[in-house]
Amino acid sequence: MTAPPAPAVPRPPHHAVRAKVVPGRLLRLELRRNTMLWMLPVAILLFWYNGYREIMAVPPMWNLRAMTLQNRLLLDFAIPVVGAAAWMASREGRRGVADLLGITARPRWARQLTGWAATTCWALLGYLCCVAVVYVLTARQASWGGPLWWPAVVGAVAVPLLSAVGFAAGTLFPSRFTVPLVTVAAFFGLAFGTQAASGDHSYWQISPLTSGAVDIGADPGVATFYHYLPDLSIAQVMFAAGLTAAVLGLLGLPAGSGGRWLRRSAAVITVAGLAAAGTAVALAGTGRLDPHGMIVIPALHDAANDQPIRYTPVCSHTAIPVCVNPAYTAYLPAVTAVLRPVLTELAGLPGAPRQVTQAAQAYAQGPGNSINLIFHGLAARDGSVVFSLPDPLPGDQGQTSAGFDSRLKTTGLQIVAGVIGSQSRAAGSPAVAGPAQQAVISALTRLTAPQLAFRNGSAEQLGPYGRLLPAPGSPAAAAATRFAALPAAAQHAWLVQHLPALRAGRISLAQLP
Amino acid sequence: MNIEITDLTRRFGRTKAVAGVDLEAGPGVFGLLGPNGAGKTTLLRVMATVLPPTSGRLRLLDRDPGAYGPRREIRRRLGYLPQNLGYYPGFTVCEFVEYFALLKDMPAARVPAAVAAAVERVDLGVKAKAKLRTLSGGMLRRVGIAQAIVNEPELLLLDEPTAGLDPEQRVQFRALLRDLGQRATVVVSTHLVEDVGAACTEVALMDQGKVVFHGTPGELTARGTDGGTGDAPLERGYTAVLAQARLAQAQS
Repeated sequence: MTAPPAPAVPRPPHHAVRAKVVPGRLLRLELRRNTMLWMLPVAILLFWYNGYREIMAVPPMWNLRAMTLQNRLLLDFAIPVVGAAAWMASREGRRGVADLLGITARPRWARQLTGWAATTCWALLGYLCCVAVVYVLTARQASWGGPLWWPAVVGAVAVPLLSAVGFAAGTLFPSRFTVPLVTVAAFFGLAFGTQAASGDHSYWQISPLTSGAVDIGADPGVATFYHYLPDLSIAQVMFAAGLTAAVLGLLGLPAGSGGRWLRRSAAVITVAGLAAAGTAVALAGTGRLDPHGMIVIPALHDAANDQPIRYTPVCSHTAIPVCVNPAYTAYLPAVTAVLRPVLTELAGLPGAPRQVTQAAQAYAQGPGNSINLIFHGLAARDGSVVFSLPDPLPGDQGQTSAGFDSRLKTTGLQIVAGVIGSQSRAAGSPAVAGPAQQAVISALTRLTAPQLAFRNGSAEQLGPYGRLLPAPGSPAAAAATRFAALPAAAQHAWLVQHLPALRAGRISLAQLP
Repeated sequence: MNIEITDLTRRFGRTKAVAGVDLEAGPGVFGLLGPNGAGKTTLLRVMATVLPPTSGRLRLLDRDPGAYGPRREIRRRLGYLPQNLGYYPGFTVCEFVEYFALLKDMPAARVPAAVAAAVERVDLGVKAKAKLRTLSGGMLRRVGIAQAIVNEPELLLLDEPTAGLDPEQRVQFRALLRDLGQRATVVVSTHLVEDVGAACTEVALMDQGKVVFHGTPGELTARGTDGGTGDAPLERGYTAVLAQARLAQAQS
């Protein structure tokens, strides 16, 4: 140690010491030595193993990817972020630096906020990188639409909340057990938040993991034909930001956190944060499911968002064109492949649709978390047929290409029944078919009742469409086999001639060729 | 006077760690001697504004540390080395010292030069970029001294500063103390009377929470001529004063 002389550090008069400290220097130091930096690979690895693979497995549609991202990414980041924040906050106690830091001039609250900010910066950087990867890949894969930002924003605002919760726990309980306890509590708290929701008026929808209606969540039909409603997201952002402010403000309340002015500010921030969070929870409780599958919060709702999104449909080159929303372009070949034989048979027949057009599903909230599909299937509209694509899509959890095709065949059955059957097509109700009609429908769709029963699980579940097909071994089934054996041209010619009589129920089985 | 203490008491439950201390100190190096449990560390922590006094009057640098504003002013001008130095093992020497410089509200523009100077003054220039977890106990002690002096304090409180230092470093450290004492009040709490003899201009001896002697090292040495045990004159003064204090305590 060198004694004399003291180095030539100019010593300013003490009033000059009051000169502003650049908080950026302290933040930079905290950033350099922050535990979250070392936890980033863990967080990203967790996301890759868990969320990323799940997100990328769903069909490349912006709504599906973004809404799944909101749910998965935050949960994957919860443990590393809360743990790192709690670890950083408890280091003063664990390392025995409390005395030394306690007598520094800078208020304790300011010091704590710097540590929290550094942890949050790294966590947010990791979060945004994950969002960027998912969005860039989706941009390259999706056939239509653009990024949905609200789900990403909700997550980005919830990351500081996770960090604040961990930081507060570490500050208030600076023990080595704090980190495991608070991470487990935060993880299960988040997960429980989504499980506790019940219906569209549930306050638990405020959980930042919830993207849309609880039992719909990420669904192809949501936010494709209509705008993504930000109502719930706004409430979630309010909640997360408010709670973050309240938790951080709480740290500034104890004596010793700072001067009177600083502690009063902390109290104001805490109260304001709690008010914002409470208001957000109350708003979430006023939510209701709109027919397009999203949550509407009247106080936050912008009616302009209720207008359908304009788009140019993508159509097939079949005898009767099949048109789908461009977001579903990837599924048009599969739809066409299933419906083409039926549409070829129907083309040119009186009453045949001009076009088969995809329409949005419509939803209604049932008791608890149950959702009723109030439009799911097929309806006639202006000489065309509108239909909804089977949901879920291939690639979604629990759906295969074979299952998708199978459900499309039901759509084909409905289209044929709409032309051949004797129902009121305008009402969109299932057709009622006599034996001759059943035979022709079965012949044209190459479907039999047992096949349909197999797809639906059991004979009891045949439902209304079961009445469109002949029972096995019945005379109608034999007539169907006979009619199906005719060349397509002969079938078509017979139908052109006899369709009105067939629809009117004036054709008997014996009269079928 | 930079330190004015009047009838200061500090209790921990039923234990009176500091029992009615009166003390004044201006610029110079002030030695605080005493056996284990005498109350030196508690008194130092009270002076460092870590602990508030239970009763009595304390003024530091002509300010009352009981109020937030003056206390913050005092802390800007204060350097403190605790008995057990806590540290963040992942920080480098420079980062650790810089961290405290910034927390002491030093103007940001002055920080890099002040950090470099403090690190050089404790002879850790070559270890400036080393992580604290790689340093020996003596080096860590020097890091602690560096963080204490980085803001050029007017009041420097050092608790057992030479613990863990080798003889050469202790000699250098005493020179550093003498230099610092020219402009600031340096209070050194120690068991090592040779440190006091070599560096201090004033000395107080504590026993059972009370100051039983206050004077110059020469005056303490002189008290040893009446009796006392020890190898060095100052040690004999130290033991003689303690023996007299304990006898007086027993008689009262």
